[in-house]
Amino acid sequence: MNHPEPSLRNPSARTGETAAAGNPPDAAKYAFINEVIARVDGRPGALLGILEAVQERNPRKYLCADELSYIAAKTNIPLSQIFSVVTFYALFNREPQGDHTICICRGTACHTRGSRTLLESLRLELGMEEAPGQAGADKLTLTTPDGKFTIRTVACFGQCALAPVVELDHRICGHMNERALAREVDALGQERHE
Amino acid sequence: MSRIEDIGIFNAMREEGLAKVLPAMPRIAVGMGTCGRGNGAEGVYQALSHAIDRDGLDIRLAAVGCFGACSEEPLVSVWLPGQPLVILRRVQASDVERILNDLSRGRITPDLAWCKIEEWDHITAHLRYGQGFPELPLWSELPFFSGQKKIVLRNCGLIAPDDIDEYIAVGGYQALYKVLIDGKPESVIEQIKASKLRGRGGAGYATGIKWEFLAKAKDDRKYIICNADEGDPGAYMNRNEIESDPHGLLEGMIIGGYVTGASQGIVYVRAEYPLAVHHLARAIDQAREYGILGANILGRPFHFDIEMVEGAGAFVCGEETALIASLEGFSGRPRPRPPYPAQKGLQGKPTNINNVETWYNIAPIVLKGPAWFTEIGSTKSAGTKVFSLVGKVQNTGLVEMPLGTPLTKFVYDIGGGAAAGRTVKAVQTGGPSGGCIPHEMFDTAVDYETLAQLGSIMGSGGMVVMDEDNCMVDIARYFIEFTHSESCGKCVPCRVGLDQALEILNGFTKGTGTAAQLTLLNELGRMIRDTSLCGLGQTAPNPVLTTMRHFRHEFDDHIIAKRCRAGVCHSLALSPCENSCPLHMNIPRFLDLLKEGRADDAFEAVFLDNPLPASTGRVCQHPCDDRCRRQTVDSPVNMREVHRFIADAVLLTDRFEPLAARIAARKKAPTGKSVAVVGAGPAGLTAAFYLALVGHDVTVFENKAEAGGMLRYAIPEYRLPKRVLAQEVELIRRLGVKFQFGAGVGSAITLNELDEGFDAVFLAIGTWKESWVNLPGTELKGVLPALPFLESVATGTNPALGRKMTVIGGGNAAVDSARTAVRMGVDATIVYRRERKDMPAIKEEVDAAEQEGVKFLFLAAPHRIVGDARGNVRALEIAKTRLGQYDSSGRRKPVVTAEIVRLDCDAVVLAVGETVDLDFARASGLTLREAGTFVVDRFTLETSRPNFFAGGDAISGASNVSNAMGFGKKAARKIDERLMGAKRFAGLAGGFQYSMEPPETTSTSPRHRSAELKPAVRVAGEDEVMVGLTDAEAGDESCRCLRCDIRG
Repeated sequence: MNHPEPSLRNPSARTGETAAAGNPPDAAKYAFINEVIARVDGRPGALLGILEAVQERNPRKYLCADELSYIAAKTNIPLSQIFSVVTFYALFNREPQGDHTICICRGTACHTRGSRTLLESLRLELGMEEAPGQAGADKLTLTTPDGKFTIRTVACFGQCALAPVVELDHRICGHMNERALAREVDALGQERHE
Repeated sequence: MSRIEDIGIFNAMREEGLAKVLPAMPRIAVGMGTCGRGNGAEGVYQALSHAIDRDGLDIRLAAVGCFGACSEEPLVSVWLPGQPLVILRRVQASDVERILNDLSRGRITPDLAWCKIEEWDHITAHLRYGQGFPELPLWSELPFFSGQKKIVLRNCGLIAPDDIDEYIAVGGYQALYKVLIDGKPESVIEQIKASKLRGRGGAGYATGIKWEFLAKAKDDRKYIICNADEGDPGAYMNRNEIESDPHGLLEGMIIGGYVTGASQGIVYVRAEYPLAVHHLARAIDQAREYGILGANILGRPFHFDIEMVEGAGAFVCGEETALIASLEGFSGRPRPRPPYPAQKGLQGKPTNINNVETWYNIAPIVLKGPAWFTEIGSTKSAGTKVFSLVGKVQNTGLVEMPLGTPLTKFVYDIGGGAAAGRTVKAVQTGGPSGGCIPHEMFDTAVDYETLAQLGSIMGSGGMVVMDEDNCMVDIARYFIEFTHSESCGKCVPCRVGLDQALEILNGFTKGTGTAAQLTLLNELGRMIRDTSLCGLGQTAPNPVLTTMRHFRHEFDDHIIAKRCRAGVCHSLALSPCENSCPLHMNIPRFLDLLKEGRADDAFEAVFLDNPLPASTGRVCQHPCDDRCRRQTVDSPVNMREVHRFIADAVLLTDRFEPLAARIAARKKAPTGKSVAVVGAGPAGLTAAFYLALVGHDVTVFENKAEAGGMLRYAIPEYRLPKRVLAQEVELIRRLGVKFQFGAGVGSAITLNELDEGFDAVFLAIGTWKESWVNLPGTELKGVLPALPFLESVATGTNPALGRKMTVIGGGNAAVDSARTAVRMGVDATIVYRRERKDMPAIKEEVDAAEQEGVKFLFLAAPHRIVGDARGNVRALEIAKTRLGQYDSSGRRKPVVTAEIVRLDCDAVVLAVGETVDLDFARASGLTLREAGTFVVDRFTLETSRPNFFAGGDAISGASNVSNAMGFGKKAARKIDERLMGAKRFAGLAGGFQYSMEPPETTSTSPRHRSAELKPAVRVAGEDEVMVGLTDAEAGDESCRCLRCDIRG
């Protein structure tokens, strides 16, 4: 595993609060986390809700170590359990995501209509190597070194009638082919990321 | 807005809602489900909204859910008071002005109108829209909707999902009201039990019994959960149901809460469905506002609330115990049962979990009674099920059918079958837990038990249709990869077993698999199925076990022949075109050599891959076109005509001698072995060429006077000039192949003599017997079988045909016969029992025949041939046919009607198919199939007699030139392996250096096609119709290749 963040060990209650006090821009973040926790704590599915909200607020759409430690401290859920949850579900990211996310559906209908070829050609187009141990894997998240694009896959968007489907920055595009995808990705690359 | 406290307020609300659904002004509703949006529905809605505001129109505009016909999206429904509701399809924003214009004149835009709805059964209410527009079909008359019974989808696409008033207007929350007023929870449970409703999530457990467990459990707090974590790839009905009708789900759950004594409901919904999440959240808010959720629901002493939790993307959370773990803040790993959730579920409290669709059935059952429900569907599986019909069918979408409906109905009647030119191979049901059902079993009833017998399951209702472009080994691998990555890792059989299974399957797709691994995979699958902890592991092997059971031959292809017929497994092919070519020609190579201007090298490379390149360049069925990836840019590379160009440039010029010498120089040293080839058709010639090339002494025995088989004697001069074929045969002869003409095996020489005289024998006798139809009048003068007719023309004796001829059949022989007759000045009509698109003949040839004045009569079966007193043909009587049920080829079977039509004619040509010469085949003593073809080992082409091999039409039945040549090439390789004990074919056609760099640019030109003679010139003689590509055209065509053979 490869985490850019500090170690996850030492889930003490103080970690989060020190960070909150010592880093003014983070104050708003911790206030947000507090608010989310207050809203859902104790209800079924609370932890998922907290993690989803915190990740969504992160400009790079991922969960970093200090956020997880802070949540652990605030909710009294062991950090080990939080880490287990974060790494278990496909929705959570432990790495910063690119400016643009291209998500290729690997559902059955998309597969039968050539979504793997789309995935391969997009990887080649963006010059991304397969990570070791990921060879040929269908479930992946890859970000270009310049942080511009993230390619990910989803088990199924439920848009099977439009197969093959690609989601470009949350916009669903159906009946894709290699050429159209390359064009769309080019267009995304031209856009300035705010 | 006020809380509903009594029936008076409830009824008032209903009136208010009706005024929205059936207002006093026109209503336009845009289907704004996710698939509608994906096709541009938002733009349509905005354009409508803008235009209505701008012009101050009295039109009520609504955003509704999805009506299920995804392939026709965006759908817009238009209603004028008193008229039927009309559904418009494929509406774009640019159509909006037209629609409004027409509407202002009380008209419906005709080219967009798809169907009308005069009245609608919401089950909980009945709505009458009105009557009119006689020119439009009723919705139920369209094939896509035929037989559909909308219970679960009763409101989808008709009411606004974000407006509780519209739900109440169509009878929503009435069932809840009734249950609360009756106050007899036990009797509701009895009703659900009596309805035989079974869980719609996959396992199919009886819902009523599950509820009873929860009702009997004693605890201060009980939960009911809706499992909306629809993770099955290929299934999306739950998304659509929640998006389009969220209150239908809430009502089912509130009733469930009341009768089981639960106080809290939870909807666990996929986060990947943002619109469903949005609509559901809004519906919950509205329901609370109206006093339908929360304390004292509908003014009764019942408290119940519903919360929504967004799942974070884990397939295993569809398993109920994993879902509970997920809600408790853990990773979603299943727990052993018992205890069952009904005893100890969420937070240790009694819990009941049902799938989305199960909940939608509750209100209808409560209102209409269990007897109504059990009348729908099959005996053991009552009611309907929503299926997502997707993949390789023409009409895709959500289809709600009574349980027990056969698969053919889904695939062909509703789905419209495969795209043109393709055939459906299988249907995958039940997603990663289900299996693949082959097309031979499409009469299977879709219900829980029948699917289970075939090793599949109904699951959540995904139905993915596959055609011949889908590789079943790859599909098995795909599903195992999916379950492998979704396995939670808790139990060993699933975690380790699926990993091993994936490794084996990866090997199969890469060509490194072995037969022993196939057995191992089967055992492993059964072990995983029998010993895994939860449903995911227990069902994960189903896709593999069913494909191995129903598509074993595809596994064998990958393991033994190292071939993937569908062309999906890239490691097993050079390029898609090479894979599709029966001769496996290295097409990118000859294209590149020509592109580099090396015409002689290109010829040598082509000839070593295909010793009849000029003939096949004219008559091949070119399967390569269908696979070419250039199609995704514009149209396929014209590979067939390029190799014809390359071949003509040598065979028909003075380059012949030097190139013949170059090829002869490649001949290997004599082996001292001798091989007899019986039949000088495409299969025999090809085998002879390769066997001679590797150094064997080859003799070809042919009972006719010249070589070429069908190429010489059946395919007319205007398609394949004889001099072209003669040059190819000459080049083969230069390799030392000996020919004995007029030497019919079985008469001049016996099989035993061949056995004694040669080390191996290859039988390529073709199919030269014309099938005879069982038809009165075939004994008349003027009735001719197609092959003898074509043969007599090819040998220069034109039979007398009179003035008019009819041809019975739809294959190439029929078209060749008709076109030949036209050239003899005869008026020709082809009579075919199916439709034009079903004709087996090459499409270009059919088009050319039509240009030349050949007439066609489709949907016509021969009835009898009428003769005169002297025994001459006078007419053919045909019976009109209509298309009936789909047969196993995916075509509709022609059914003969009583309508007889008489076609006056002087000759009738029978071109209804060719078969093997049965007398010879029977006398050979070899094992035969029923049709008389030789039984051979699929991979070695060995017959039942040692040292005897067979190929071509004689083993496949009448096929085409390239397929026959493919057999010839394979037979030569296998015979050589057998004689020499070594694999000597690798590199036989090698030794060419050419660019393996991806082309910087490719030609942007559209596909080049050979010029052709004008029809008037053509019919005046026998000149070749297709002139051939010019130098420049062929060169540019070769630059259109994308070079799929180069891999990064």
